[in-house]
Amino acid sequence: MRILALFTVIITGIILAYGTQDMPDWGDPKSPASIHVSPRYIEKTIEETATPNVVTSLLADYRGYDTLGETTVIFTAGISCILILRIRKRRREQK
Amino acid sequence: MIDLIISKYNYWIYIVLMMIGFYAMIGKKNLVKKIIGINIFQTAIILFFVSTASKRGGTLPIIEHAHGHGAHAIEAASYINPLPHVLMLTAIVVMVSTLGVALAIMILIYRRYNTLEENEILEQRKWSSNPPF
Repeated sequence: MRILALFTVIITGIILAYGTQDMPDWGDPKSPASIHVSPRYIEKTIEETATPNVVTSLLADYRGYDTLGETTVIFTAGISCILILRIRKRRREQK
Repeated sequence: MIDLIISKYNYWIYIVLMMIGFYAMIGKKNLVKKIIGINIFQTAIILFFVSTASKRGGTLPIIEHAHGHGAHAIEAASYINPLPHVLMLTAIVVMVSTLGVALAIMILIYRRYNTLEENEILEQRKWSSNPPF
């Protein structure tokens, strides 16, 4: 079983390493991730949000709904942790 | 050959990290080790996304002389890409949330079966007369 897991992992790694030859080079300013959307954010952030830190203006201004959903996620996780750990205690007290 | 190594070695590092996490997920018997494997896997993916943000010659995405120095032309090529950083901030929050809930469930499993080894739990479930939960 352990041999099978190791085999699967190594095959996956080889496939991914083969896929990296189509990826952009490290630090390439012309990589597709850097030329499509993000220049607009960098150039307009002072004008539209008056925030020098682009990460902050993206997180709290352009993608505010995303951050709202993020707080929902962490709230749900906290509530579910409390619920999971409390149910068990109550059942033990009943016994 | 040396050019290929210099331009692609970051991906290879993340692939090795991902293989470690993936092996811990599918090869280990202990459930806590599986969860930490999931975390290592996610860390590899986060590092991959952050590395796509880098630009050679770019600095941190904080605009210099933003206020009170007159209008400057802002060149996008001199600041690294802020978008992957923001997306990975969200991913880190989700990662921490899933880790917390998973470890809470592990506490429940340990109270019920007194072990965290997968094969021992399956053995107990097979031979127990009353169905668990």
